[in-house]
Amino acid sequence: MNPLIVENVVKQYGDKTAVNGISFEVGEGEIYGLLGANGAGKTTTMRMVLGLIYQDEGEILYNGKPYSNDQLRNLGYLPEERGLYPKIRISDQLIYLAQLRGISKKDADQNLKRWLDRFEVPEYYNKKIEELSKGNQQKIGFIASVIHKPKIVILDEAFSGLDPVNVELLKSTVKELRDSGTTILFSTHRMEHVEELCRNITILHRSNVVLKGNLKEIKKQFPKERVILSTEKEVSGLEQLSGVTHVDRHEYGYEIGISNEAVGADILRHALAQSEIRRFEIKEPTLNEIFIKTVGGDSHE
Amino acid sequence: MNSFWTVVGFTLKNKFRGKAFTITTIIIALIICIGINLPYVFSQFNSGDKVTSIGYIQSAQSEGQATGDQLKAFFEAQEKPGVKLVSYDDKGSEADNEKQLKQAITDKDIKGYLVFGKMTDSGFPEMTYKSEKLLAFGLTSSIQNGLQVIRQGTILKDAGLSTEQLALLNAPIEIASVQISATEGAGNMGEGKTKEEQAVNMGLVYFIVILLFMAIMITGQMIASEITAEKSSRVMELLITSVSPLKQMFGKIVGMFLVGLIQITAYVLVIVINVKLPHNNEMLEKYNIDLSLIDPMLLIYSVLFYLTGYFLFATLFAAVGSIVSRTEDLGQAVLPITMLSLGGFYISIFSISSPDSMLVQVSSFIPFFAPFVMLLRLGLTDPPVWQVLGSIGILLVTIYASVWISAKIYRTGVLMYGKRPTFKELRKAMKAYKI
Repeated sequence: MNPLIVENVVKQYGDKTAVNGISFEVGEGEIYGLLGANGAGKTTTMRMVLGLIYQDEGEILYNGKPYSNDQLRNLGYLPEERGLYPKIRISDQLIYLAQLRGISKKDADQNLKRWLDRFEVPEYYNKKIEELSKGNQQKIGFIASVIHKPKIVILDEAFSGLDPVNVELLKSTVKELRDSGTTILFSTHRMEHVEELCRNITILHRSNVVLKGNLKEIKKQFPKERVILSTEKEVSGLEQLSGVTHVDRHEYGYEIGISNEAVGADILRHALAQSEIRRFEIKEPTLNEIFIKTVGGDSHE
Repeated sequence: MNSFWTVVGFTLKNKFRGKAFTITTIIIALIICIGINLPYVFSQFNSGDKVTSIGYIQSAQSEGQATGDQLKAFFEAQEKPGVKLVSYDDKGSEADNEKQLKQAITDKDIKGYLVFGKMTDSGFPEMTYKSEKLLAFGLTSSIQNGLQVIRQGTILKDAGLSTEQLALLNAPIEIASVQISATEGAGNMGEGKTKEEQAVNMGLVYFIVILLFMAIMITGQMIASEITAEKSSRVMELLITSVSPLKQMFGKIVGMFLVGLIQITAYVLVIVINVKLPHNNEMLEKYNIDLSLIDPMLLIYSVLFYLTGYFLFATLFAAVGSIVSRTEDLGQAVLPITMLSLGGFYISIFSISSPDSMLVQVSSFIPFFAPFVMLLRLGLTDPPVWQVLGSIGILLVTIYASVWISAKIYRTGVLMYGKRPTFKELRKAMKAYKI
């Protein structure tokens, strides 16, 4: 049985439906991606999973059991907006939060030191949150969500506001958590992170689930419509080939839109006749393209 | 239960670690020290300069001369004269006399001088007191008193009364007033309260009511603003996913209660130490204040009403703090609660001279006023036991209700951001949450 099961969950705020029948399951050691434009219902879904708000319909099961106060200790949460006391020493508040989730002061202290070392910032132990930059606050927030070794971790926009180096650091940490068997529910706008981390995803659009399933299978459903071509010399007449929708010239060569995969072979033959070929690739659609296609570019921020 | 004490401990630790808290406590303690010792300090300054010297012209021709001499003799005869008359020789003309007296003022020999005019029907000449000071009421009235006694003496002597008879006439009359209870009172004082006890109790009630009000307002505000700060910094989302809202709210309230208690204990200690200082003891004796007359029952009731009052208002403050999402909006939102406690406070303070009025009796049963007003009744009158117990009973029921409602509002409010929710929204959301 999967540690986290969400079944047909509906949430309404007054007349407005915030989440309309979302279902998914997250397995042990899996990162589940929750995607959607702003206001699509991601945070509402996460809050329902956390028990912060109650669903109007449907069921959420944690290791087969419904929500109860005992579950709180198994949950870790990184809110979208950094939720920490600005004026209190980091060691004080993180140990406090860990204690509230049922681990001893000593263990909490050890875990905190270990995590600070992991992020290479042991000197933050005695600092206050307000003294740190936004990205570093995010690191501390992340530590706060995992310091008590939860079974289920919920990360809402975990990587926003971080520089590339810290994104890599945090990403590798999330992967470590996954490999140690933690169930992770993950939301973001950044598709490349999802492609790297998530096995299964759900795309929400205006409170509705528009796409759901295994990332690889989703990608297979979408036709391969792009060819990347780099050649030694100029290639002319690509536009005249049947099935080619458009040709863009880039520094590295050509990006050619095609109506179906078979056209790729025609392009290769056509190019070979004129020049040596350095690179030829029929590209899978990126998640970004899939997202824009399903959600529509208009509501993407 | 464990996480409850974690919240309490965290609240305490952060308050005591904060510089603002320590500094305010020390400043208030200093103000208390100064306030208590001020009367003594003033008395030290005054004692050296108690006798006011007044000049007048001694001349045979002047009609007022006799009066001046009489006054001089009168004040000299007193045990502790506040006024001393100094006679100056007549220089002949009025202008020269004035000049001479003014010179004496400049030389600081006298503070002012009396000028006598024509004889009036009162048997004394017209008198003008001239000095550089404005409104020397105290001085003129003591001169007036002196004149009164002189006139009485003259008239009564003419009537043939002896000195003993005169003394008898002037002997002060005293009425001893003892406050008793006709029925069985709530206090233990079946024999009633003497005048001294009443005075001490009145002072004590005054003091306790102010202390109670301050404690409730200060700690209440702290609770509300801490909750709002937690909400606006979004720590609340983490807290609520870690510990149940009820535990969290009560942890905060109890933590703040301990903070307030420690603060008050510190102040009371400062007061007691200062009052016990030898020079202040003398002051108290001088004013006939004996602190051992404080009724222990009154102190017990004070603690009881402090507890009930605190928890009633603290839960309300917590509820309001949870609704507001920004600290800037907090002042406005807590206004109704401030008004409620202010109401009780004022009823109590202004009724201190009429603790039996209808207003006091009725409002001692209204839960929000009761902690202040019932204390007043207990200190100054002797209300029946059933009324006191009834009042406490009503308070306890109200506390229970307000805890329940506040916990609901808290659970709902902490997740509501943006504009302040309307009552309708709040009620609807409250239905959805279990505590």
